[in-house]
Amino acid sequence: MSFGFPWGLLALGALVPLVAAYFLRRKQKPVVVSALFLWRTPRPRAEAGPRFERFTREASLLLEALAVVAAALFLADVRLGEDARTRHLVLVVDGSLSLSARGADGRSVLEKVRAEAARRVEEEKATSVTVLASGTVPRVLAGPEAEPSRALAALESFRALGADHDVAPTLLWAQELAGPGRRVHFFTDAPPAEGVAVPAAVRWTALGAPRDNVALVSAWRRDEGSTATVTLRVARFGTGPEETEVRVRARPGPGAKEGTERRERVRLPEEGAATLRFTFENAGDVEVALPADALPEDGEARLPPAPERRVRVALAEGLDAQARSTLERFLAVSPGVEQGPGEGALVVGPRGSDARVTVGAGGAVRTFVGPFFAEKGHPLLDDVQLGGVRWAAGAEAPPGRALMTAGTVVLLSESEGQVHLNVDLARSNVQRTTAWPVLLGNLLREVRRSQEGFPRRQLSLGETLAVVTRPGSRYTLEGPEGTRPLFGAGALSLPPPAVPGRYTLERDGEPVDAVEVLPLDARESDLRGRGEGDRPAQAAGDDEDGGAAPGRARWPLLVLLAALLVDFHITRRTEAK
Amino acid sequence: MSTAPDFDEAEVARLAPGLALALPRTPQRGRVGEVRAASAGSSLELHDFRVYQPGDDLRQMDWNAVARTGELILRVRQDEVSPRLEVLLDGSRSMALSPRKAACARELALLATEVGAHQGLSPTLLVGGARPERVQGQVCRSALRSATFDAKDDLHAALGRLPPLRPCGLRVVVSDFLFEAPLPALVSRLAQGAAALFLVQVLDAEDLEPTGGEGARLVDAESGAALEELLTEEVLAAYARRFAEHQKALGAAAARARAVHLVAPAPQALRTLVAGALRPLFLPAGVA
Repeated sequence: MSFGFPWGLLALGALVPLVAAYFLRRKQKPVVVSALFLWRTPRPRAEAGPRFERFTREASLLLEALAVVAAALFLADVRLGEDARTRHLVLVVDGSLSLSARGADGRSVLEKVRAEAARRVEEEKATSVTVLASGTVPRVLAGPEAEPSRALAALESFRALGADHDVAPTLLWAQELAGPGRRVHFFTDAPPAEGVAVPAAVRWTALGAPRDNVALVSAWRRDEGSTATVTLRVARFGTGPEETEVRVRARPGPGAKEGTERRERVRLPEEGAATLRFTFENAGDVEVALPADALPEDGEARLPPAPERRVRVALAEGLDAQARSTLERFLAVSPGVEQGPGEGALVVGPRGSDARVTVGAGGAVRTFVGPFFAEKGHPLLDDVQLGGVRWAAGAEAPPGRALMTAGTVVLLSESEGQVHLNVDLARSNVQRTTAWPVLLGNLLREVRRSQEGFPRRQLSLGETLAVVTRPGSRYTLEGPEGTRPLFGAGALSLPPPAVPGRYTLERDGEPVDAVEVLPLDARESDLRGRGEGDRPAQAAGDDEDGGAAPGRARWPLLVLLAALLVDFHITRRTEAK
Repeated sequence: MSTAPDFDEAEVARLAPGLALALPRTPQRGRVGEVRAASAGSSLELHDFRVYQPGDDLRQMDWNAVARTGELILRVRQDEVSPRLEVLLDGSRSMALSPRKAACARELALLATEVGAHQGLSPTLLVGGARPERVQGQVCRSALRSATFDAKDDLHAALGRLPPLRPCGLRVVVSDFLFEAPLPALVSRLAQGAAALFLVQVLDAEDLEPTGGEGARLVDAESGAALEELLTEEVLAAYARRFAEHQKALGAAAARARAVHLVAPAPQALRTLVAGALRPLFLPAGVA
């Protein structure tokens, strides 16, 4: 037995009031009489007495319950035996942004996909449909094995705004859902490229058309003090207009009374991008817009304020004078740094202290001019060039994992969140080389990255979402598609968001930080290679076998009518007596 | 069921002096009194003649007959007795269907005992409740006050619990007679040993004309058995038809046992009942 529309079984809920009415009817107002025998109709089976009455009423209840069950089965589209064979159709829709592109007739590719999917469901006489949307993370839009009308309704409300991605994982998943030998219908806007391995059971339907397009390929905002700098790159794909107008509107920020709007015409190179830069004072959100074209979604961006995260650094007691003055010189010119003790401050202390960073040499000091062996992949050593450096270090090795050594001496090590610099600055020249500010800059960058929230305030489609959380708190991520909890503590790397928009990190219900995912993806904006085509499945499926029975089964209706008629007959007879 | 002495004793006291019970005309047995008895006695009424036997009262010798016949002929005279009165009150629950029905039953039983006492009939009261009771004389009033209608069975079953009915001149049975029982056998048993039997059937307004119009769970007052019915016009008409058949059967059984069947609608006042429906039992004092 199977059900084409299981929600119809909710009609069984009618049994509750039916049974309740039965028991309520049995509890009528009691009336005491002198002689019950004068009320009772003498019958041939009078000896059965009240049992006969009860049986009649219970029979009526059973018949009414049978009628309810039959009605529920009819509504649930029950299928037995051969009728129970269903035709399951698996549809995969490309979830990338380019499916939102409009054709010459103004219809988007996604609208064509919806119409084609509905036609395919009708054509295949599908009784259940599963709809998947491909993306960097595939997802189920309807199903598994949803009712066709619900599946198509889910497709109607779907918006394709995803990044460029590989569809193979989604197609393989769809094949597993469809079952062996069953076809999968994939709808996209371009025929498969040469060399792309398409699963044999997939019917690839492309409904796109080549279009010219002008798009933002990147947008970046940086806030320093009250000045916001917005950098845009605008590209032309195809033989479209050689010139376009960029409209940038800055909403008023804190302390500003009104916003600013700027328009700038820009010449677009044939195969390249034009870069524009705008600066605003006291700006809130900055909105960028290009004239509407085939894909208007990639011509709009909203850039919230992205101030650089400030870092507090405190120098502990015990640092030698050379080290202290060297560090203070660097911190004085380093942007976004505040000096002094405070909550969450990065403490720099002498060797052997429990400061986050220790500076100093222990034991007999030796000076090294190379060769230096460094763990290049470590973020602390990014771009650290040690050519010409004279590094004086103590013979006693600092604790932890060695990040940089010279001979048998460990110059830099890391242990349980601490960084140890084995250096005697009085005898070294490292503080006078470029390696010193780069090394300390990397250190501050890592501190910034370990602060709670999003390390980056703007992301493009398809970029991984990095977020830092503190242990002991409950975090949720609220985005355009709802709220979901975040598990884990520390630096987390979340899958790329499926749709653009603003994502807010909340700690225990309170917003902590926000990131804007921009609908920008140059590969999706390039619509020149799109086109139409229908590539049939290479492997013949057994879809043709055993179609579903047309319409709903009629026998529950017959049972329903029969039960009602017999019930009517019984109750009528009882009343007549 | 009902324990409250809610009957109108004052009305009974007002009515009793002016009434007399209708006594049987056939000879009865009883204490020495004013009614001719079936037995031979010392009244002035000649009953028979017979031959003297040793031990006979010589004062009853008919000397004229001795002179005529030469044999010792004795006059046998009728005895004069006062007939006994037995009032049997049904103590089943249905008698307390309504306070008025219970009160009416109590009033009728009390009136019968009071009037009988005035007539010198030495009344005996039997109450067929869950705990059967048999009292005589002046305590009948207090017995009626404390009598409860609590029997879960009918009068026919209660007769098995009651003390045996004794021969008496007049027996008055106060009940609603609304039960399923072999009525001819029941009435015959009630008539046994009684020169006259009155079946006083006390009926409530709901017994006579039940109200309808809605669904109800009918519960038998005695057995507690239930029956769910929609009290439509048809159902009420069927009840009336079966009630009439029952009354007809009761009347026929009474006639066969030479008993008198009287119906006392409880809603009527005692005075109205005495002057109307119960006139055959309660006669004006001068008439009796």
